[in-house]
Amino acid sequence: MSGTGFSISVRDLSLRHGNGDVVLTGAAVEVAPGTICALLGASGSGKSSLLAALGGRLAPVAGQVLIGGRPMISRSRRRVQARIGTTYQDHRLVAQATVLDNVLAGLAPHVPWWRCATGRYAPAHLTRATDLLERLGLHAALHHRRAGSLSGGQAQRVGIARALVARPSLLLADEPIASLDPQTARDVLALIAREARESGATVVCALHQPELAATFADRILTLHEGAFRAGVEQPQRSAA
Amino acid sequence: MKAEARLMPKQGLWLVPVVALIALSAPRMEFGRVGLAFASDASAPDIAGLARFWPPQIETRTDIANLPSLDPDRLPPFSRLETSTAPIRELDPDTLETTTRMSQRTWLVSPLGYLGDVALRMVETIEIGLWGTLLAVVAGLPLAFARSRAIGLPFALQISARLSCAALRALPELLVALLLVGAIGFGPTAGVLALGVHAAGFIGRFYADAFDDADQHPIEAIRATGAGRMSVFIVAVLPQVRASLASATLYILDRNVRMATVIGIVGAGGIGQELKGRIDLYEFGHATTIVIAIFIVVAILDEFAAHLRKRQSS
Repeated sequence: MSGTGFSISVRDLSLRHGNGDVVLTGAAVEVAPGTICALLGASGSGKSSLLAALGGRLAPVAGQVLIGGRPMISRSRRRVQARIGTTYQDHRLVAQATVLDNVLAGLAPHVPWWRCATGRYAPAHLTRATDLLERLGLHAALHHRRAGSLSGGQAQRVGIARALVARPSLLLADEPIASLDPQTARDVLALIAREARESGATVVCALHQPELAATFADRILTLHEGAFRAGVEQPQRSAA
Repeated sequence: MKAEARLMPKQGLWLVPVVALIALSAPRMEFGRVGLAFASDASAPDIAGLARFWPPQIETRTDIANLPSLDPDRLPPFSRLETSTAPIRELDPDTLETTTRMSQRTWLVSPLGYLGDVALRMVETIEIGLWGTLLAVVAGLPLAFARSRAIGLPFALQISARLSCAALRALPELLVALLLVGAIGFGPTAGVLALGVHAAGFIGRFYADAFDDADQHPIEAIRATGAGRMSVFIVAVLPQVRASLASATLYILDRNVRMATVIGIVGAGGIGQELKGRIDLYEFGHATTIVIAIFIVVAILDEFAAHLRKRQSS
């Protein structure tokens, strides 16, 4: 399965945060397909903005982002976006919809809209969604609860399931374990890594825990003062 | 010194327009007529007085001369024949003088017949309300899509949808019904169109507000998956706004059924048309029956809407 992941090419990238602050200036990095990257950096160092730019949600002030060789500001970026899974710090679930429907929402670009409207998803898709939820420790009793009634840690894992359900070629995870206890956090990171290895997906995962990053990632990217800090990488696992 | 110079205390200033209104306008309003409502004599023969509205009329009587196919041995259920003798004034063609002769007429009386007539008209009224609401949703939904910032269609389209909604709401139902009766004739069609046109403006606005008030974060998250506009709407917007849409639609339905009782007065079908007809014929007892029927139906509708709203919010 290896080889279906997206390469990432960040060239001379400058980003401006929503509040007008410039968070990245001339950042550059190349990531090979199938690499699991941990993205470290202090709060406000631009991790979320970088992930937004990689996902085509934030237009750069200067420079370029190429995902799988395609610029993320082009009109055709929707085809690339359909193969990107994203998790958010604030989860961004539809509070009124059920847990299962929130996960299935991750398939929206891949199924016709009338299937979303009628809930007639293919059995394979349903199995995939429930299976992911189970593996994330969210059992069947929770699947039909409203997402708005979940705890922070549960909502976080639903967001991860939504990002993974369509087997993305690139996973952009913004602090996916921030609301989880240490044991669940390790399990969730292990699941993300296993999913990525199975499908050959590239992963960029913003984290605050350098020790977890070291065990989880092939490569560690550190943002510091608006650019990637050179030389802090961990190449020994990339052959795995 | 300054306080003495003030001729009138400032607090009393509001009295001036009130006194002016009473002095200048009250005589022109002919409030004395209120007293005529309780007049029972023939001092003012063109005034009905409240007494003539009572009792409510619930039976129908038909002259059997107008019912040639009626078989006196097989009357419709619950009905009876009544014969009355009444003086009739006629012009004698030979002498050219008015003469009075006694004439015997036979009536077919259905004791509860008018209740049935009113019920049928009431059903028609509710139908007008339902169809008007359906039309409003069908016409208002595209307007709401175009108007909503959250859906994000081109700005020119948003502005024109906004203006259309305002224009539709600015036309009162009664006025639209009056124009439509002129254009397409008497009957419920004019009523349905009038209610639909007016309420479409409301639906367009209420639905668009619901879309805009939805939490935009999940919507952006689904949009970022590259999903199409329709999929984003169904997956991320609709679950959030379903309750608001239902409650707005219920409000419009409630409002439309109420309005459907009124617009008949200009000839647009339903119970109002019957009411207007009876008043015009000085059949005030019938009018009372209709008003009571409207009261009952609106009260039931009120309870029903409140019940639905309570169930929805729980």
